Amino acid sequence: MVFRSIAALKRNGVIGINERNIRYVNHLNPRKLLYTVDDKLVTKQLAEKVGIPTPELYGVISDARDMRRLPDMMQHAGGFVIKPAQGSQGKGIMVIDGPLKGGWRLANGRRVEIDEIRFQINNILSGMYSLGGQPDKALIEYRVKFDDVFGAISFKGVPDIRVIVLKGVPAFAMLRLPTAESDGKANLHRGGVGVGVDIATGQTQLAMQFDQLIELHPDTAHPLNGVQTPHWDDILLMAARSYDVTGLGYVGVDVVLDREKGPMLLELNARPGISIQIANRKGLRFALDRAEAIAQKNLNAPARVAEAKKAAGEHDADAAPCEPDANG
Amino acid sequence: MTSSMRRAWVLAAILIALGLGVFLIKTVRMHFPLAPNAVATIWDYEVYLEFDGRDEPARVEIYLPANDVKRIFSQEEFYNGPFGLSLTDEAGTANRKATWTYRFPSNKKVLRFTAQTIGETPSTPLPETFTGSETEELPFEEDNLKRQAFIVWAADMRRRSADDKSFADLTLAEIFEGRGPGGDKSADEIAVLLGDLPAPLARLELARQTFQAQGIPARIANGVYLAEARRRVELRHWLEYHLDGDSFRYFPGGAPTRLFTLWYGADDLVADSGVDEMEYQISLQARRNAAIDVARNAGPEYDFINHWFSFNDLPLTTQLVYKVLVTIPVGILILVFLRQFIGFKTLGTFMPVLIGIAFRETALVNGLILFTALIALGLGVRFYLERLQLLLVPRLAVVVVFIVMSMAVITIAMSNANQAIGLSISLFPMVILTMTIERMSIVWEEQSAGEAIKQGAGSMAVAAITYLAMTNAQVEYMMYQFPELLLVIMGLCVLMGRYTGLRLSELWRFRELAR
Repeated sequence: MVFRSIAALKRNGVIGINERNIRYVNHLNPRKLLYTVDDKLVTKQLAEKVGIPTPELYGVISDARDMRRLPDMMQHAGGFVIKPAQGSQGKGIMVIDGPLKGGWRLANGRRVEIDEIRFQINNILSGMYSLGGQPDKALIEYRVKFDDVFGAISFKGVPDIRVIVLKGVPAFAMLRLPTAESDGKANLHRGGVGVGVDIATGQTQLAMQFDQLIELHPDTAHPLNGVQTPHWDDILLMAARSYDVTGLGYVGVDVVLDREKGPMLLELNARPGISIQIANRKGLRFALDRAEAIAQKNLNAPARVAEAKKAAGEHDADAAPCEPDANG
Repeated sequence: MTSSMRRAWVLAAILIALGLGVFLIKTVRMHFPLAPNAVATIWDYEVYLEFDGRDEPARVEIYLPANDVKRIFSQEEFYNGPFGLSLTDEAGTANRKATWTYRFPSNKKVLRFTAQTIGETPSTPLPETFTGSETEELPFEEDNLKRQAFIVWAADMRRRSADDKSFADLTLAEIFEGRGPGGDKSADEIAVLLGDLPAPLARLELARQTFQAQGIPARIANGVYLAEARRRVELRHWLEYHLDGDSFRYFPGGAPTRLFTLWYGADDLVADSGVDEMEYQISLQARRNAAIDVARNAGPEYDFINHWFSFNDLPLTTQLVYKVLVTIPVGILILVFLRQFIGFKTLGTFMPVLIGIAFRETALVNGLILFTALIALGLGVRFYLERLQLLLVPRLAVVVVFIVMSMAVITIAMSNANQAIGLSISLFPMVILTMTIERMSIVWEEQSAGEAIKQGAGSMAVAAITYLAMTNAQVEYMMYQFPELLLVIMGLCVLMGRYTGLRLSELWRFRELAR
């Protein structure tokens, strides 16, 4: 039983955490370059330098003195987001929709006083959410107004698109949708829905929640497949160019779609999760091998995207992702 | 295979080979026991000499235990009386001799030699120096008639055998059991060839001569069988020979289980001149001893290993610390396996091992109960403090103080009912508890209560498993007596660090992709 399933997973090219760490993360992401993704402020600055759009930065709080300027930073009618610069897995992020009766309204509808916001920022500064617990900075930035194209298949919160990029070649993609269970956050381990996205076309395909296959959104009961992601080529291009900025060979690029401003780079992740394989119902290995082959050609970003789309299209034509058995 | 992969394998191989090498030397050569509390029988060997002096220069020689056999014997002691003592190594053989001399002894004199040994077995390999050290030679140089008889007899043996092995077997059977095809004919020839040595020695000597003539290295060995403790132990004689690189011993009248080789050749144990009424007596006495103490006295050539791969020379308090310390890598090894191969989720990387160490103070069941209770209380406080919006470090401090107070309350409450729990809690590490509470509460808030409880239970399970492994008597004994196994553990960790396969939990996680 165990050996059969090992063999089947191997055949489908499924990669485990151990292999991801050794062959991809440790091998392709030199430690000295990790600062480019570990600190979201650095990522933002690097991206802006080459013209990759990111959510506008309203302010940075790195000590108690900056805290006095907090009320100024919060003067945005459209709301704002507070996030730790070195947070991971969406930890410590506070999304504020706008002012509400002298206080502020959170994305989940709850009202908070400014004291609670200050407390959250202090927690961020003391390193509660950073890797290894070192002191951190709090970023206050533009709250994304998400594109209605995914309105029917998300529940509160902001959906985002995760693209796995190997040496600048987009290899795998997934749309992450918030659910009631995930408290409006798009993180898969909290109950967000992951929907596989075809690299060639940008169309959504199969989906999963809590590592299990699903077809309808658990809250809106809308079918998840067949939705066309807008600005798909732009998204792929942003993902591909992130490699030129960071030099990291194996990155998860998180992109959000803003109603007015189009796709924006949210963050880069040097240790992207492997659940994306379930959402796409196929293993990463073969896609990464194809991406490796394209990367060998030393092309510029637009050419890499074109090659990646072509390779993905050809591959899907002759080998569809493994469908569940009719009787299974 | 990438170069980093290859380097990891090489490093792991070197570490494991090094560790196992020292381990094997200790167990095979030095006879370190593999079980705690193993006992070994140590034999006290004593030669007791009694004679009358004649008021003229006296000289008494005895053979000491040969030192070319791989075995342990120690604490040689001589009781010289007024005699002078000199030790010599005999040229050409591995024999050692003690010579006592005195110019004008009178009256009754006594000399003694004692040694301790665990002896050897009939299958203990013969020394390398003995292999191939002999060349073909024919006996009976001076007696032409005997020489002819010998040649005829040896030729007959050779004709009836296929190779050296069957030649040796056949010769021994003929000499010692008289199994000849022509009835007594063979026995007659053997009777002619036997020299005038005492009975068993004469036949052994003939066998040795026959082997030697065939080019098989052979020698007569003398010693005692370590069978029962008694005074007046009989000296035994047997034949040792090499065939195709293998060692053989032939014991007339059946092999003993343990023996103690003293010297080689057909000479008597004791030689004397200038004394009367020489009488000697060999006695053996058995003592049961901790096998580990026996192994530690393996001899000067093992001093390096005894010094650098052992804690036994350290002060006792330091030894006790290391007894605990060296088991921790075992717990870590298990933790690495559970995380990398099984896919256990735990709070913190090595936290479960630290909790496992903490269980030493409380024993398993008490520890689990205390731990769960304190974490539950601490989590309650932690969630209340969340409402007060305290800063991180002061909040941790409040939790630490609360944990100490809870422990104190439990101790006081228990002091009437069950003192054991009350006392053992005192060293229960509160900082570990506090950090566990903090991590658990973050997981609780950031992910879900279920995830926090899952990771807490996972940590507890791993802690229990590592605790059981680290306190296992066999594990403690092995790690403490064989610290070189740390190298093996290190090598295994290196190997596990290059494991790229799927974890057991991932088979379940990706079950949708395994159809």
